[in-house]
Amino acid sequence: MAWEYSEKTKQLFMDAVHGKPGTHLGEIENPDGFGEHGSLACGDAMRFTFRVQRHPTDPTQDVIVAARYLTFGCTSAIAASEALCSLIERGRYTPIQALQVQNKDIVDFLGGLPRQKIHCSVMGAEALESAVFNWAQQRGVDLERLGIDIHREEQQEGRIVCKCFSLSEPYIRRKIRELNLRTIPDITNAIKAGGACMACHHVPGGLQDLLDEAWGKGGGGPVLTQITLPAAGAPLVPATPPAEKPLLSSYQLSKKIEQAVEQYVRPMLRQDGGDLEIVDIKELLVYCTLSGACKSCAGANQTLRMLVEQTLKEMVDERIRVVQV
Amino acid sequence: MRIIYADNNATTQVAPEVREAMAPFFADDYFNPSSMYEPARRTARALAEARAAVARHLGVSNPQSILFTSCATESNNTAILGAAKANPCRRHVVTTAVEHPAVLEVCKDLQRDGYEVTFLGVDARGNLDVGQFVRALGPQTLLASVMHANNETGVLFRIEQLSRLAKETDPAILFHTDATQSVGKLRIDLERELPHVDLLSFSGHKLHAPKGVGALYVRRGTPCRPFMIGGHQEEGRRAGTENVPYIVGLAKAMELAARHEEDERVRVGGLRDRLEQGIEERIPFIQVNGRGAPRLPNTLNVSCHYVEGEGMLYQLSDAGICASSGSACTSGSLEPSHVLRAMNVPFTAVHGSIRFSFSRYNTDADVDDILAVFPGVVANLRRLSPYWDQERNCPRPDAETRIK
Repeated sequence: MAWEYSEKTKQLFMDAVHGKPGTHLGEIENPDGFGEHGSLACGDAMRFTFRVQRHPTDPTQDVIVAARYLTFGCTSAIAASEALCSLIERGRYTPIQALQVQNKDIVDFLGGLPRQKIHCSVMGAEALESAVFNWAQQRGVDLERLGIDIHREEQQEGRIVCKCFSLSEPYIRRKIRELNLRTIPDITNAIKAGGACMACHHVPGGLQDLLDEAWGKGGGGPVLTQITLPAAGAPLVPATPPAEKPLLSSYQLSKKIEQAVEQYVRPMLRQDGGDLEIVDIKELLVYCTLSGACKSCAGANQTLRMLVEQTLKEMVDERIRVVQV
Repeated sequence: MRIIYADNNATTQVAPEVREAMAPFFADDYFNPSSMYEPARRTARALAEARAAVARHLGVSNPQSILFTSCATESNNTAILGAAKANPCRRHVVTTAVEHPAVLEVCKDLQRDGYEVTFLGVDARGNLDVGQFVRALGPQTLLASVMHANNETGVLFRIEQLSRLAKETDPAILFHTDATQSVGKLRIDLERELPHVDLLSFSGHKLHAPKGVGALYVRRGTPCRPFMIGGHQEEGRRAGTENVPYIVGLAKAMELAARHEEDERVRVGGLRDRLEQGIEERIPFIQVNGRGAPRLPNTLNVSCHYVEGEGMLYQLSDAGICASSGSACTSGSLEPSHVLRAMNVPFTAVHGSIRFSFSRYNTDADVDDILAVFPGVVANLRRLSPYWDQERNCPRPDAETRIK
């Protein structure tokens, strides 16, 4: 089905899929903020990362200088991701200011979105929230104390209303008010709830009940964030799948890890009268305990990280992580 | 007859201060905390204060992390089934073979629903093998549920280490601990010392609050669906009108426990140690179950070889001493304690286990009285035993072969 996208939407999408310079496709390594929203099962998912210019003393004054996305989803999901990154970078916001960027701003940036596609813009806003939360954790910023409630709990707790997209009652309730959703189609368009099996529409405690609770029975006409724009014929170019790295089988991998430990790590530890025992290897996770002189060494944790993990990263696979048992 | 109550891991007496704190809520302050009028606001405030106190005593900064339940069993059911419900894509649970039935049976029920459950064994001292725990974790694992202190032996598991390993393996694995036996006996500082624990259950009646109230700590943001569905109480995470008097009682009991923490560790621990030593000196062929492992200070689980537990309990009760046993005859099933079997306690001793568990209301005189009675109790039974050589006061040479 050809959605009626705005020129801007189509443009952003095309630029992104063709990797035109200046687009924001990608992922920042060791990002200062990392957030995800959606899932493969739900049909779209976004990974949003940003880098900040760190303020020397006050982390709340950090400024976002780069934003990147990886998105699994349709044209408008990718365009909305692109829009989000552009808005964020252009604004030179602090992460906290960035929270002011709402799905409505994304829709405006795109010059409108078909109403059935509003949820793409909501996904961007949610991924942004999640990334800012991650930044706050990394930088030790207490958002709650700053009076910023980013609703981390509500999706995890409370009763599930829409089972297909796993959306909870508190989340839907908040979105109904925030996005001024007046009808079940409004809800489905904005956050996808009720969009698959539809069983939650009119059951007790379902979407209609939540709407009635928010607006009163028969409340409110169909009001929605303004959506527009014709011009059909948007080319449907599939997003390129992520390049797959040739992988060793887990058996080969653990053999290589054991070899590297035997050849390089053990001899180094033994020089200092220590040794190490591998408790388990799960793909790229290596569990070990230090023994001998290393066991009582105060720097044991450091040793594991620096020596063992670094060696294994260099010799076997850079993604290896060492866990001290 | 003087009653010597040495079964505090089963339940405890309600502290007088707790009764007193509860009293107003059975009288003038009977209101529903969800109601709007002013008298009910008072009740609601008492509820909020109780929640804050319970959180504080667990080292939790956000009181909303505490859900009040009816008992530890409900807390455990909520934690395990709620975690499974919240993570339907995963189908594997890791737990131990020595959990309380309120965890074990819930996990077995999940098994019947098609889940895979790993029941980790323990060694002869009751310790878990950390390597085994690590190796059990996999991409399908949704939850690890490992008790803090064992109710039968008092053996402590290293929750801090296990929860950290679970999270380092995969942050999506939830970690639950049944802390029913440790809350009130040990200082628990969740945020500082157990930051990787997502869910922690306990009940009031093990720490001198009444039966009928429990709690579940749910670290904020933990995916866990409600078990009791209904009204909007507890933010929709546990429906049902709050049991205000009992919740107030629980908070009071936790305050008292915090105040007596050192007494519990030092003096009550001393009582246990003296009883343990006294029994060893007076009774041959015994073994202390869980010795060599870190243990709760109040619990002594001792097995007397070639003796059956129920016979000991009966005699002790006759002398006014209340204790319990892991023998088959007392368990209601045909099998002796699953905990002792998991520890591979020899057949000759597994039926002869007895548990003494103290609280701050026990005294030196209690230990003296038990020591005065218990050796005779065991000797009486051994005298009756076909496996016992009366003259030399040791098992008959062929005993072990005959018992098989």
